[in-house]
Amino acid sequence: MTGLGLLTRFSLRRSRVLIGAWTAVLAVMCYASAAATDSLYATAADRVSAAESINASSALVALYGPILDVHSLGELAMTKTTVTYAVLVMALAIALVRRHTRVEEESGRAELLGGLAVDPRAPLVSAVLVGATASLGVALTAALGTIAGGLPVAGSLWFAGSWLGLGLVGTGIGAVCAQLSANARTCGAVAAGVVAVLFGLRALGDTTGAGWLSWLSPFGWSTQLRAWSDPRGWVLLLDLAAAVLLIVAALVLRARRDLGAGLVADRPGPATGSPRLADALALNLKVHATSLVVWTAACALLGALMAAIVPGVGSVLDSDSARQMMERLGGVGALQETLVAALVSVGAVVITCFVAMVVGHGGAEEHDGRTEEVLATATSRSTSFAAVALVALGGAAWLLLVTGAAMALGSFGAEVSAGGVLAAALVQIPAVWVVAALALLAVAVRSTWAVAGWVLVVAFFLLGPLAELLRLPGWVAGLSPYSHVSKVPAESLQMTPEVVLTLLATLVVLTAWWRYRERDIG
Amino acid sequence: MSESDVIRIRGLVKTFGPTRALDRLDLSVGGGEVHGFLGPNGAGKSTTIRVLLGLLRKDAGEVRLFGGDPWAEAAALHRRLAYVPGDVSLWPNLSGGEVIDMFLRMRGAPANHPWRAEMIERFQLDPTKKGRAYSKGNRQKVALVAAFAAPADLLILDEPTSGLDPLMEEGFADCIAERKAGGTTVLLSSHILSEVERLADRVTIIREGRAVESGSLDEMRHLHRSKVRAEVVGAVPDLGGVPGVHDLSVDGAVVSCTVEPEGLPAVLTALTAAGVRTLTSSPPSLEELFLDAYRKDPVG
Repeated sequence: MTGLGLLTRFSLRRSRVLIGAWTAVLAVMCYASAAATDSLYATAADRVSAAESINASSALVALYGPILDVHSLGELAMTKTTVTYAVLVMALAIALVRRHTRVEEESGRAELLGGLAVDPRAPLVSAVLVGATASLGVALTAALGTIAGGLPVAGSLWFAGSWLGLGLVGTGIGAVCAQLSANARTCGAVAAGVVAVLFGLRALGDTTGAGWLSWLSPFGWSTQLRAWSDPRGWVLLLDLAAAVLLIVAALVLRARRDLGAGLVADRPGPATGSPRLADALALNLKVHATSLVVWTAACALLGALMAAIVPGVGSVLDSDSARQMMERLGGVGALQETLVAALVSVGAVVITCFVAMVVGHGGAEEHDGRTEEVLATATSRSTSFAAVALVALGGAAWLLLVTGAAMALGSFGAEVSAGGVLAAALVQIPAVWVVAALALLAVAVRSTWAVAGWVLVVAFFLLGPLAELLRLPGWVAGLSPYSHVSKVPAESLQMTPEVVLTLLATLVVLTAWWRYRERDIG
Repeated sequence: MSESDVIRIRGLVKTFGPTRALDRLDLSVGGGEVHGFLGPNGAGKSTTIRVLLGLLRKDAGEVRLFGGDPWAEAAALHRRLAYVPGDVSLWPNLSGGEVIDMFLRMRGAPANHPWRAEMIERFQLDPTKKGRAYSKGNRQKVALVAAFAAPADLLILDEPTSGLDPLMEEGFADCIAERKAGGTTVLLSSHILSEVERLADRVTIIREGRAVESGSLDEMRHLHRSKVRAEVVGAVPDLGGVPGVHDLSVDGAVVSCTVEPEGLPAVLTALTAAGVRTLTSSPPSLEELFLDAYRKDPVG
């Protein structure tokens, strides 16, 4: 296929930072999980009781999948990585395929290639190769991580096989979804929806009597592979078959459509603009309207679902080690309150991703020249900056409020007050704001630094566990703004960190604003 | 140069790292004039416009727009102008009509001016398409319609017809002529010489970030050699010795050369003495002026 090799090397080169960073993060997670478990549970009996307590909690099984062999150290250690973190492997594959197919077509760069001596199928096939190569790289590095963390080699390789399988299926999902719409964001949203449905099928199958549902989802296959105890290699063939089917389907769909077009035609828009669409803030709200709605719905739904598991937790986590684990995450206090605090702290990090997306998009607007067009109207620099800052900061506060309110409703019947649950979410706002402010500062210094928001989210998220694992001094973990927030409702609310974080965020936002007014645009 | 100039730039310097993009550039555009801003890619046209719009900060020199400081008073000054960038980027999920109205409202201009419908008609734009569905030419049309859909004191157009077909270029020329008649000032950056020659009252040619020629086309022509071709009856006169004559060639009774303005009287006298059968003298085209400006020794 003409141009395939060149195109693939070029794409791999363009995405080397994304692939490298993602691989490194996942490998560190694998190493940390593998290395931490042995010290966490001193005896085999401790491990069995920890595994049994996970299996007994529908919430944890829904999140991580069941532990099929409670005597297996590997299965206990890699509970989270087998299904939950594996979502990230699938997400990487989808992101890569989307990036090198639909995004290229939307930007018009694919047309540039179309005029060269390149086979029309080559871009899609090359994107599939990039997705598969990255999946293989992630899987092998993950295996090295678990082996370094002290787990058996054979199990590590089978486990890597499950990640490779999910990466290949993700490649297929990304390839099919990229054919559907002319809008890259719509394609991404459809793919994310597919992953959510697959995850949900498995969660339902694992927690209810309808175990066959788990067999409909690649995430279920990863658990059923039993990588660490009694491997069933043929399960990986399911991944492979699904991936091949999806990729063939994508190629057929691609052959039936024009370059740049979607299978689902773009609906025409209004011929005139709404009078409300008259300033930079209205524009930015319109640009993010769809994702705001989706995020709000997701926060409400996941918040209510997560909170619904809280009443059942008291009877389950009866081993000391599991309790310690929860307490470390959620602070000292009643178990249910601890669980609420732990769930909310994860939610805050996830919601920060929305912030990173909004700020990152602000950088892209400038890079593509749209900010220039807006600033050539009577829009001031301050207005343009405020439009991004308000959607990022306001959006974060809104999503945490929605999450808190939904959790308060969902935890009905638990021994935690609704007010306490809501407060747990709201106290996170200043910490998220600090990350948002730093991301804004990066964009204000240079538009190409817009990716800083994502780097900060990942860095702050990993800082705590890494500092603990590597026994770094306390101030290292303290660099993360999330670490200073009171673990409400398990602990009482400390106002000092809230005030300090808010002041810090304000100061950084003001610095960013000042910097943005002073620099060249473009 | 007068105080009433809409655009007045003196000694403008802008550097990007080690690159000196603008090197003591001068540019002045009077009220109501269509000013052609000429130069090849990379000469600094877009950089000048972006300084003029307050998007880039100048390193040295003086820049006035409507007598104000384009950096400090950008938003207020932009109420009086409309801008069409060379490469128009649109929002993927906004229709062309939405973008046009948004630009108009952001400028503080009415979105329901009768010109809006007229321009959409004239440029044959489908305003219901989403941003991602437009071709380069159509994206350009969206920005052009937004610029022409309501009155403005100044139009800043950065290579506005790149991507337009010849029919649309014609429509664009009509628009400029109409707005000029209405008193609008136009800064038209371009490397399409015929377009500028037809539309512009005055022209500035820039090269390596510096204005190398500026003035009305007539003035500039006066400063440059005319092409003279004559067929004589008698003996061919020796024009080689006449000051200001270049590129002399003789083919039988036909003599042709290029002549600097001050050499013309002497050439005509010599030709008349020899007895002229036919005589053509053509002023330099803008293309020749342009090539002339670029043929000189490197500036600086």
